[in-house]
Amino acid sequence: MSALIPARRTNPRARRPARYAIAIAIAVALSLVLVASSILNYVYLDTVAGRTSLYGLLAVALIALGTFVGVRAAARDPARRRRDFIRAAVLLGLAALLWLLLIDVFVFTGAAGPGVAAICALACLPTTAFGLWVVRRIDRNEKEPWRLVLVAAAWGAVVATSLVIWAESLWQEIAIRTLVPGPGFDVSTAFSAGILEELAKGSAVVLLFLVMRNEFDDVVDGIVYGAAVGLGFNFMESVAYMTNLYAIFAPDGIGGYAAGFQWYARQVLGLFFGHATYTAFVGAGIGIARQLPTKRKKLIAIAAGFLVAIAAHFAWDAWLNLFPIEKNNFAILEIHLRTLIMTGPFTAAVVALLLLGLHIESQALADQFRKEAALGSGSITSDEVPILMSPWRRFQQRLRVLGRGGLRAYIRLARLQTAQVDLAMERWHRERQEVDTPLEAEQELRRQVIALRQQFVSSVSGG
Amino acid sequence: MVAGPVDQVRTLYRTLLVFAAISLLILVAGLVEFAYFEPPGQHTGVKATIAGVYQYDPDLKTTAGPDRSSFPRTVDFAAVVNWSTLPSNVVVDARWYDGFGNVVGSVGPGTPDQLAGQTIVPVKVPPGFSHNLPGHYIFVVERYDNGLPVEVIGRRVVLVER
Repeated sequence: MSALIPARRTNPRARRPARYAIAIAIAVALSLVLVASSILNYVYLDTVAGRTSLYGLLAVALIALGTFVGVRAAARDPARRRRDFIRAAVLLGLAALLWLLLIDVFVFTGAAGPGVAAICALACLPTTAFGLWVVRRIDRNEKEPWRLVLVAAAWGAVVATSLVIWAESLWQEIAIRTLVPGPGFDVSTAFSAGILEELAKGSAVVLLFLVMRNEFDDVVDGIVYGAAVGLGFNFMESVAYMTNLYAIFAPDGIGGYAAGFQWYARQVLGLFFGHATYTAFVGAGIGIARQLPTKRKKLIAIAAGFLVAIAAHFAWDAWLNLFPIEKNNFAILEIHLRTLIMTGPFTAAVVALLLLGLHIESQALADQFRKEAALGSGSITSDEVPILMSPWRRFQQRLRVLGRGGLRAYIRLARLQTAQVDLAMERWHRERQEVDTPLEAEQELRRQVIALRQQFVSSVSGG
Repeated sequence: MVAGPVDQVRTLYRTLLVFAAISLLILVAGLVEFAYFEPPGQHTGVKATIAGVYQYDPDLKTTAGPDRSSFPRTVDFAAVVNWSTLPSNVVVDARWYDGFGNVVGSVGPGTPDQLAGQTIVPVKVPPGFSHNLPGHYIFVVERYDNGLPVEVIGRRVVLVER
């Protein structure tokens, strides 16, 4: 059996672009901030959260190692890649579990108990998984690889939460000691959450943009990665709030209700109307910057994305009390209306960017499919153009092949289609002068598409 | 004359800039709100004397025991303020905030003379609950100006244990 040829990651690595150096600098800076914050928390705040932060460094190290192994796997040959991916998955899984254990065991389970913590985490898993599935599916032209979507979510859950613990604790300490309690204090806290949490979450999207440029094509990809980071952060925050409130209210017999309400508010009502929306704006800014011609405009777009994310987050935290929930029959309705009124406009705005981005992407890909077919290289034929232009027709074609040639043919056609879309995407970026890789990368991709076509044909014809 | 093709990414960029401009207004509104409730230049140097935070007996309305910074949730507690150390012309109040930011006990606002008989400021258990909710409680003595608290002139943080 012939070895399957990968469709992605074909760019030769003759010379590493300068963006890798920026990515390394950011990663080192973030790591130093994590170490410093953990020590500062432990020494000065002397809280349980401080200890968690310090011990959490092990989880952070595992995440970093897992990410490194996972990203490195992309450039390996198929046999080693599979092994490296498994290693990366194990490391990331261990890190996530370790972090959950740390948060729950050291912070909350002393009062709520490990059983409650496990139930809270389990309750949040299906909803977060559903959110990630939806977010990945919205990129209908070229779905992002699961490994990167999951890495983004893991960073949001583990690294971003670690980054903000110290800074928010410090901000809160200063605010408590200096400000008049009341609306001014609330505004200060909202600024803290908006600025610090969006910077912490956004840093993951920036790193993805710098390191995984091949998988970061435009505003749509940015929104997908940003929302994935937000969903990861939301997962961890939900678990933390649920266990915390359970512990507070359990002695009065309403711990389960308090935790359940938090679950509904954060994992159902706020699943997309919250962190996912905020960080999607960061991703949108970076995704748009990806396609802008000048450095100045790129920086403005990235800053604009962060600004909208911070403002959206700030508005919710600062002005939540403007919509008090009365204890009456309409409370449930009021809770939903409040979310819709306060976060709805921001979610609508990010959806508008997404739809516009999808429209632009679809048009560009259609144009590139036609141009590639006209080239006559054999990678895309003119018959395939209308099918490739429609995700639904691509799926229908795969279904037909499934009936004719079985699962293997289905998978090979899926790989062929993915490679063809990648080729069109590469062409689009090259035409717009948005790539820092040599032309050989495109040629290599073309060769791989042709090889995948041969594999597909042999699987259908029984070869 | 034929116009060149419009780069649609530029449309995206401009749309994002519009959103960013609106966001900037939101953040400026936040800063204005902050400045309204935390007006600059309000530091007078006046300090309220908080004698301590003690266990409280709600039936006898008296405090007992030593000054403490943490209490079990089953124990009632109160702050004791010495109003006599403040200038007589200031308007002040004292409040307890629980971990959720709710006011769970207060006296005032009034002048120190008006508040002289209310030196004990207890924390009230929230309606529907049998004990205080756990968390960090903040006790503040605030100076008023034009009907708004503008300066904290005394502060204590107390932990209610789980």
